[in-house]
Amino acid sequence: MDYVLLGIQAVFNGPPMFSILGVGVPAALVMLFLGLLTGIAVGATPGLAGPMAMAVSLPILISIFGVRPEALLPVFGFLIGIMKGATVGGAVPAILFNTPGTPDAFMTTLDGYPMTRRGMPMRALKVAHISSVSGDTVSDIVLFVCAPFLAVLVERFLDLPEKTSLIILSLSFIAAVMGSSVGKGLISISLGMIAALVATGEEFHPRLTLGVDEISRGFPLVAAVLGVLILGEIFKSFEDLWRGPAVEVDTIEPEHRDKDGLMRGDIRRIAPHIARSSAIGTVIGALPGVGSTLAATLGYTFGASAHRRRKTSEQKDFGEGAPEGIAATEAANSAVSGANLIPVLSLGIPGNAAAVFLILAADSIGGFNPGPAVFNFTRPAVNPELVVAFGIFTLMAVGNFLNWTIGGVFMRSMGIMARVPIRYLLPVVLLVTMTAIYVQETSFVSLWIAFGFGILGYLFRRLDISVLPFVIAFILTGSLERTARQAFSASGGDPLFLFQSWTSITFLALAVVSVAVLGRRDGPGASKKARVEKS
Amino acid sequence: MQRINVDVVLGLVVLACALVAVVIWIPNDTGSGIVESVRGRYSIGDALAPTVAFAILGLAGAALLIESRRKKPTGQLSSRNLAFIGFMLLIYLAAILVMRWTGPALASIAAEGSYRELRDTLPWKYLGYVAGGTLMVSVMVSLVERQFTGKALLIGVLASLLMAMFYDLPFDDLLLPPNGDV
Repeated sequence: MDYVLLGIQAVFNGPPMFSILGVGVPAALVMLFLGLLTGIAVGATPGLAGPMAMAVSLPILISIFGVRPEALLPVFGFLIGIMKGATVGGAVPAILFNTPGTPDAFMTTLDGYPMTRRGMPMRALKVAHISSVSGDTVSDIVLFVCAPFLAVLVERFLDLPEKTSLIILSLSFIAAVMGSSVGKGLISISLGMIAALVATGEEFHPRLTLGVDEISRGFPLVAAVLGVLILGEIFKSFEDLWRGPAVEVDTIEPEHRDKDGLMRGDIRRIAPHIARSSAIGTVIGALPGVGSTLAATLGYTFGASAHRRRKTSEQKDFGEGAPEGIAATEAANSAVSGANLIPVLSLGIPGNAAAVFLILAADSIGGFNPGPAVFNFTRPAVNPELVVAFGIFTLMAVGNFLNWTIGGVFMRSMGIMARVPIRYLLPVVLLVTMTAIYVQETSFVSLWIAFGFGILGYLFRRLDISVLPFVIAFILTGSLERTARQAFSASGGDPLFLFQSWTSITFLALAVVSVAVLGRRDGPGASKKARVEKS
Repeated sequence: MQRINVDVVLGLVVLACALVAVVIWIPNDTGSGIVESVRGRYSIGDALAPTVAFAILGLAGAALLIESRRKKPTGQLSSRNLAFIGFMLLIYLAAILVMRWTGPALASIAAEGSYRELRDTLPWKYLGYVAGGTLMVSVMVSLVERQFTGKALLIGVLASLLMAMFYDLPFDDLLLPPNGDV
């Protein structure tokens, strides 16, 4: 309980950004608020996404707050604000213009846009807002409870071989469930590992560099991650735009209705769908690598099934403009974001792109290494990392409060963002990303490295290989090798060091099973396509 | 089902790459072997992790070959895609060259000192960045619009100028391209 209070104090008594009537306003709260507004605006802009905004803002944040422990909470505040805002904002163009602002808002178009056509855009937006923030709040509560508990269990019961096996299990699971096939998932994982291994190691000779001096210190994390995640996406979207027919935002005027907004009984109608989808999104989110698109698809599918059984004759079906359809989708995809942080904070394993940027921020600033060691409730000494962790929880709770109160108003005013032409946005985002990389690395070499990884990201997307396993493997490989080295040495050089305990053997067996069993099924992307086609 | 498709080619390529890396590249480009023994104590060498990573790559290639027998390929990579990448490379290269050399070239013509002495003063510190950024943005906008217009140029200039000011004015310690390299 002391640490909870210390975390709250770290946020509310942190360094002030400015003063109002002589009262200092904490920087972390100001940054959270600004991040939330930025996230809603970015989410509402088709072609942009939360991770892009996080990537661009990270060097600026580090420049503002520096690389000292006091910088952690303001920087995390802004990034968490973007994460929360983008999940809400993605529904805006989906409902108003039939254009999902973020990929996971695709299912929202199925019911949101028909409601707009029937003259109920405000009602649809309000349903989306309530559902999205409810899902996010439920997911955050689960995170607050589960992450410390899981981390303590890991620290208490897992030794070095078990931790090594756990990372192997995480990577295998991600390879198996992400993307269109297990073979492609494994390609993504292995290439991420190979990229992370270049020029690292314990010997004087920088390994796998082919004698190229420019990479003798390895690939910069920022250049590699931004290259694959952001530049690759820009290249692909730009080519689609260049070669494809011009897609204009739908400007058909909706029917006019005098009164638009939540109707009597709406909350009661959508509440079961919010509850069900929040549970689905939270469970999906807690599994590393399984994205919000799958959660939205499952939430929608289960919601549609329940709705068919219970709906009255005057209620619309899913796909024809049912508020329940929006609730089922938005609660599910938003519930992923909080739960996605469970593996990051408790195990140090990032589960999605937003988590990757939180790790990048922690890595750049220092003083906070996400993982089980964070939740070390030492006494009488105070563990500063644990204070930061509870500070993050406080920021998430305050972010939810802001989302509940002002988020809806700001979200409903963001329809204008969908009209920004993407053909102007993409080149500007490319320039902004290049600048963000350069100001952090101050070298043209890093721009070329980012371009190289951008090409890789582009090829991945063209070949239908998921990029997130690559990024996660790139981040985890260092700790995998380090833990394996320590475990091997501690075992006295036993080649079977990973098979000395039943826990480790179980993890390894699960790794094999996940690849063998989950690999036989179509990936989430494929199943989503199939379901979308059916609906 | 078609015997040769993009997944089969991808599977074969990664399998071949993995084999070459394990047999030739890793032994010649790592400082120690798979397991090292120093004074009777065994430790993992620098070659183990890359060998495991490439082994997984080889496994991935084999898995993809097996999968391609029962599934249609979901990705596509055509010569048009590769040409596009070549085109992007040219735009990127041109933008970086302009960023790198505009300031030093103009300084050698129009100023007494070297660019290095001027790189922290206006307008020199923005010249390369704005010129290169404008080139990249306006060319990309023009490509999509299939014509070069004044509007594309204006967007390029405004975006680069705003971005330069956004990063440079509030933060003294941030260096815009190319000022960290010259």
